[in-house]
Amino acid sequence: MTTVLVTGLAIGMLYAAIALVYNVMFSTSKVLSMTTGHIAMLGGVFGAYFMQVLQIHWVLALAGSVVVGAAFGALTEVLAVRRVLQRSDEHLWLLSTLALATTVQQGVGLWWGTEPKPFPRLIPQDFSAGIADQKYWLPIGAAILIALGLDQFYRRTMYGKLFIAMSEDAFAARARGVSTDRVRLLSFVVSGVLGSFAGFAAGQLTFAFFALGHVLTLSGFIALAVGGLGSNVGALIGGAALGLLSAFASYYFGGEYQQTIAVGVLMLVLLLKPEGLLGAKNVRPV
Amino acid sequence: MTGAAHSKKIGLVLGALLVVTLPFWAGDQYQLHLAALIAVYWILVAGLNLVVGFTGQLSVGHVGLLSISAYTFAILGGTLGWNPYLAMVAAGGLGGLCGLLLGLPSLRLPGFYFAMATMAFAMIVNELVLANPQLTGGGIGLPGPAFPAPFDTPAGLYYLVAALAAGVTWLTWNIARRMWGRAFISIRDNPVAAQAVGVPVLRAKLSAFVFSGVTAGFAGSAFASLQSYITPDTFVFELSLFFFVCIIIGGRGSLIGPFLGVVVLTALPEMAAPLAKLGNLFYGVLLLVVVLVVPEGIGRMLELIGERIRPRVARHEAVKPDLARLTRVLAEQA
Amino acid sequence: MNARSDIPAFEPVNLAQVPMPRPALGDGRLALQLRVEQVTRLFGGLRALDGVSLDLRPGEVHGLIGPNGSGKTTLLNLLSGYYPPSSGAIRLGDEDLSAQPVQRRAQVGLARTFQKPRLLPMLTVLENAVLGAWPHAHAGFLATSLALPSVAREDKILLDRAAELLHGVGLGHVLHRRANLLDHAEQRFLEIARGLALRPRFILLDEPAGGLTEIEIGHLSDVVQAIRGAGIGVLLVEHHTDFVFRICDRVTTLNLGKMIKSGTPDEVRCDPEVIRVYLGA
Repeated sequence: MTTVLVTGLAIGMLYAAIALVYNVMFSTSKVLSMTTGHIAMLGGVFGAYFMQVLQIHWVLALAGSVVVGAAFGALTEVLAVRRVLQRSDEHLWLLSTLALATTVQQGVGLWWGTEPKPFPRLIPQDFSAGIADQKYWLPIGAAILIALGLDQFYRRTMYGKLFIAMSEDAFAARARGVSTDRVRLLSFVVSGVLGSFAGFAAGQLTFAFFALGHVLTLSGFIALAVGGLGSNVGALIGGAALGLLSAFASYYFGGEYQQTIAVGVLMLVLLLKPEGLLGAKNVRPV
Repeated sequence: MTGAAHSKKIGLVLGALLVVTLPFWAGDQYQLHLAALIAVYWILVAGLNLVVGFTGQLSVGHVGLLSISAYTFAILGGTLGWNPYLAMVAAGGLGGLCGLLLGLPSLRLPGFYFAMATMAFAMIVNELVLANPQLTGGGIGLPGPAFPAPFDTPAGLYYLVAALAAGVTWLTWNIARRMWGRAFISIRDNPVAAQAVGVPVLRAKLSAFVFSGVTAGFAGSAFASLQSYITPDTFVFELSLFFFVCIIIGGRGSLIGPFLGVVVLTALPEMAAPLAKLGNLFYGVLLLVVVLVVPEGIGRMLELIGERIRPRVARHEAVKPDLARLTRVLAEQA
Repeated sequence: MNARSDIPAFEPVNLAQVPMPRPALGDGRLALQLRVEQVTRLFGGLRALDGVSLDLRPGEVHGLIGPNGSGKTTLLNLLSGYYPPSSGAIRLGDEDLSAQPVQRRAQVGLARTFQKPRLLPMLTVLENAVLGAWPHAHAGFLATSLALPSVAREDKILLDRAAELLHGVGLGHVLHRRANLLDHAEQRFLEIARGLALRPRFILLDEPAGGLTEIEIGHLSDVVQAIRGAGIGVLLVEHHTDFVFRICDRVTTLNLGKMIKSGTPDEVRCDPEVIRVYLGA
């Protein structure tokens, strides 16, 4: 029973981390990128690659994965977001980020293979560790770290304040001399760093699997929507709720209806309260 | 008849001739099967085109409808031994109902949220299929029943699906060129204007979804029969993406564009053997290129090329009202 | 226009006798007024409109002027149905429109244009204009898909009339041009033609002179006169006060949500309060 709780919380915190990443990208661009789940997928896949294939120590492998994530974030902004935002068609970015996401997912599938591959241990630990297993605590810790880090970032750094300024009124920010293109690029790079960090941390739970991309994009989005777009606390709550709901649904009804129940119930929440639990009503979901 | 309309007519006649005589000049069974598959996909995409291309709703979940109707057809026509035509009509009806359900969230959820909801729908359908093996055969799948003679041969089945495809094309063409087509486009491009002229936005969206569900119902039945055997592996999210991409690449607001999109995107990976493995990667790259370079689709790109070759200068004359005519038309009751 | 003997003549419709939801459009000669009755609209603590009354009569051009923030846009939005008044009512004849949705406006014969033209870029000028006649298109979805003969007949009638309207406003030379290729003046006149395609009883024009040259404003005047002559009531929201005083029968001035003067153009133009808050010395 506690295993169910801990599993649910762990996977939920991965979803929460992805929701946090959505928030960072959304704040400066008002874009909900379909590549968000893929950032985490890359963190997991490249982490496994660095550690198992290149035999690099996990700290360096983490650094490498984070660099890959940052690069992907930058690529997303430059290729799929910047040019598209200039056009008046509202939902073009959905298509461009979807295209990029598909491309990356398929490319990784061709390179890494379509089987989920195991993710090596970071700290030596017995596989009978039960609920103290690091595969649970790493993602939970990562999500909390990301949330705290973002909080400090927004409160204490100049760039954090620039993100907030852009999210409230990009036009005014530009009028005050803020280079919105550069700040947006930075926010996508930061998203890449955070997302791949979360994916790396959750690697032992999810395995290094190319097809995680779309699944995490969807699940992370549900966590975001339930918690409320723009709220980091909401992201944590939404992620925990989705993770726990999935885990308990698995436990009581068997794994077969897991996604249906979880997604179904949460879609219901969305239809009743579209702005999410903690979402600001004036933050219009795009 | 203008030059453009004349060449369109010739093109249509030629195309129809090609389609009708295909079994005779197609290289082998495989190519005939491919042509039939294109027809089946087009049956679904023609309906989806109204939802995505005309009304602008971002549904990436239609593979779920294909799956539901394919399994319905296989269960009714195969397991329960119904007449295949009856099973197909039943699948069409169920498809319409599921299309309605799929479309309901679009009334309350904004664009991206709705897209995610449809993505979730597709994934849920697959999960439900796997979770009920007593009905659907689970991971093993079900055989797809064949139609009775004369449609039980490959050429016969090809003619059946080609006829269905022609029928669906005719239906959507009728809608596209009349007021309903314009109303759909108004919802896509300027919902405020649509409301202002009195278009019933909710009812219109649901109509489009139901229609797309019915066509998906027929497509799923034909698909099951054509493939002879269906498994959950067939109905992956990437297939939904494929349908969606055909429409975007082909160009929203037209019929010929998405049709060419289906033809090209189905045939290309098959024709170029090395491309087959890269199939999905290819779609992703192609979609990205199209979205960045010609977001209105290949149809528009051809138009632009045409304009380069034969530029039509848009002369701006002054707006000068013809008041007599205006007064007359405002005064008449008929 | 050719007389068509195979098409039955449309009877003028008495709005009062036709129940919802059939579009009940009509004849501007009936003495139905569009009344704004003591309307107040609050946004949180902000009183955007405070006890404003106004009535629009058929065959009259009624100007609505005032500085920015005076509540003109709010009043237009209320008339269009984007939100209900906080108190008071908006009535068309007997019918209380206050809480009715936006789509109902077109059904009862209330058309409007927008400050920033809202056109469909990928459709032609003709297609954009004929969309205004939507409430007159009775062909159902199924009937349309099956290409029943009545659908083609109805479509032709609506298209022909829309084409006549476009010729009438001066866009006859661009009937088949894509709307995204139009210049500003053409867009404005297209919106008016679309509004007229409704065969409205009333049309709301939201700053139609914005961005037009003097010559074009002259044409706009002529068109508005023709609309008035047909018995359609026009509510003209404008900043171009010369234009307003030239063609309006009555003018209402708003300031800070309240009506400060309503009367003939001469009365309003000379009113000291209006001069103080809006016109200047």
